[in-house]
Amino acid sequence: MIALTLPAQDGGTFNPPGVNSHLPAFFTIGDFEFTKQMLLVLLSVVLISWFFIAAARKGKLVPGKLQFAGEIGYNFVRNSVAKDVIGGKDFMKYVPLLFSLFFFILVNNIYGTIPYIQLPSFSHVGGTYFLAALVYVIWIGAGFKVNGIRFLKLAVVPSGVPWYILPLVVPIEVISNFLVRPMTHSLRLFATMLAGHLIVLIAGSGIEFLIMQESVLMKGASVLVLVGSIAMYMLEALIMVLQAYVFVLLTAIYIEGAIHADSH
Amino acid sequence: MNGTINGSINLVGYGLSAIGGAIGVGLVFAAYINGVARQPEAQRVLQPIAFLGLALTEALAILGLVFAFVLK
Amino acid sequence: MKNLMISAATAESENPLAPNWWEVLVVACGFAVLMFIVVKFVVPMFEKTYAERTEAIEGGIAKAEKAQAEATAALSEYKQQLTDARAEANRIREEARAEGARILADLKDKAAAESARITEQAQVAIAAERQAAVVSLRAEVGSLATTLAGRIVGESLNDDERSTRVVDRFLADLEDQGTSKQNAGALQ
Repeated sequence: MIALTLPAQDGGTFNPPGVNSHLPAFFTIGDFEFTKQMLLVLLSVVLISWFFIAAARKGKLVPGKLQFAGEIGYNFVRNSVAKDVIGGKDFMKYVPLLFSLFFFILVNNIYGTIPYIQLPSFSHVGGTYFLAALVYVIWIGAGFKVNGIRFLKLAVVPSGVPWYILPLVVPIEVISNFLVRPMTHSLRLFATMLAGHLIVLIAGSGIEFLIMQESVLMKGASVLVLVGSIAMYMLEALIMVLQAYVFVLLTAIYIEGAIHADSH
Repeated sequence: MNGTINGSINLVGYGLSAIGGAIGVGLVFAAYINGVARQPEAQRVLQPIAFLGLALTEALAILGLVFAFVLK
Repeated sequence: MKNLMISAATAESENPLAPNWWEVLVVACGFAVLMFIVVKFVVPMFEKTYAERTEAIEGGIAKAEKAQAEATAALSEYKQQLTDARAEANRIREEARAEGARILADLKDKAAAESARITEQAQVAIAAERQAAVVSLRAEVGSLATTLAGRIVGESLNDDERSTRVVDRFLADLEDQGTSKQNAGALQ
C-alpha cells in the first residue's frame, strides 16, 4: 500500500503516512525487534503498578490526595463496571481482571495523546488479539465452571424461541457468540486506535507539507488543517478513554452472560 | 493538475460499509438515551443491553474492516 | 519530525491484521506481571482499606447507639429518682403533718389535764382555806360574841365557867344552823 516518503520541498506529491509506516526498532536480537510499542507496554505496566501501589499502600481511613485518586479509579471499575454489570456476590472474583484490563488499555491508549510519545500501543494488532483471547478464555471458562456442560446449550439456544426457528437461530448464535465476539472485541480497540493515530499523523504530515509549499494560500490552508487536527485530537482523546471503558464493559457483560446463562 | 490516487479500492468499500454500522450504532444509542431519559432508574438495566447492541452492530463494520484488509 | 516519520522499511504490503508475535508475547508478559501485582497487592490493599472504613463507620454508629441508649437509661433513671424523691417528700410531709397533729392533740390533752389538775388543787386549797377560816372563825367568833354580848349585857362575864357554858350553848345552836348552811353552800 502507501508508503510514506518525506514530502518534497515544493510542488511534489504528498504521500501520507499509511498503515505500513512503522518506526524503526530500537534494537534487534535475531528475529526479535524491540519496538516503541513494546517499550510503551512495559512502561505502562511499571506506571500502573507504581501509581496504584503508592496510592493503596497507606490505606488510610481518610484518604490523602494520591490515595483518593487511586480510589476513584479503583472504585470506578469495581462499582460502576463490575458490581453494576456482574452484580451479586461473585463480582469480586473478576475485579482484578477488569481493573488490570481497564488501566492497561487506558494507559496504553492515552499514550496517543501525549506529545513525543503519541503512539497508542494497541495501534498494532498483536496486543489486542492477546487481550481479547484472554477474555474469551475467561468468560467461556467461567460459563463452563458455573453451568457445567449445559453452558453449551444455554449459550447458543435462546429461550422462548419456537423449535422450528431453532435451526436458523442456533448457527447465528454460535457465530455471533463464539466467533464474532472475540474478533470484534480485539479489532474494535485496534481499529479505533490505528485510525485515530493515523488521522493525527496524516494531519501532522499534511500541515508540514502545506507549510513547505511556496504559495501563501497553501501556507494559510495549513492553519485550517491545524484547527481540524486539534479537533480530531480532542475527539481521539475522548475515544481512547471510551474504548478502554467499552472493552472492559463488554468483558464484564460477556462474563455476566456466561455465569448467569440460565437466566438469559 | 493530473494527480493520481494510489491505494486499494477496498478501503472505499469499507467506508461505504461503515455507514451501515454507524447508523445502527446511532439507533442503538438513540433508543438507549430515550429509555434512560424517560426512566432514569432503568439505566443500570439498559446499559449492558445498549453496549451489547453496540457490540453486535459494530461487528458488521469491523467485519467490513477485516475484509477490506484481507481481500485482495 | 522528519526523522520520526520513517518510510516503511518493512515489507511493502504487510497486512495490518497480521500480528507481530513478538508483540503478542511482550503484551502477554506485561499483562501477566500487571495482573500479578494487581491480584497480589493492589486489590487486597484497597479492599482492606474499604473493610476498615466500613468497620469504622459501622463501629461509630454502634458507639453512637450505645451512647444514646446510655443517655436514655440515665434519663429514665433520673426521672425515676425524681418521682421517688417527690413521693418521699410527700410522704415526709404527710408524716410531719400527722406528727404535728398528734403533738398538738397531746399538748391539748396535757393542757386540759393540767388545767383540771390546777382547778382541782385550787378547789382543794380553797376548801382547806375555808376549813381553816371556819376553825379560826369558830375560835374568834366566841370571844367576839362574848365581848359583844358582855358589852351589850353590861355585866361582867368574866366568870369563866359561866361564860363558857353560855358560849358553848350558843355555839351549838349556831353550829346546827351553820352546818346546814355550809352544806347548802358546798353543793352549789
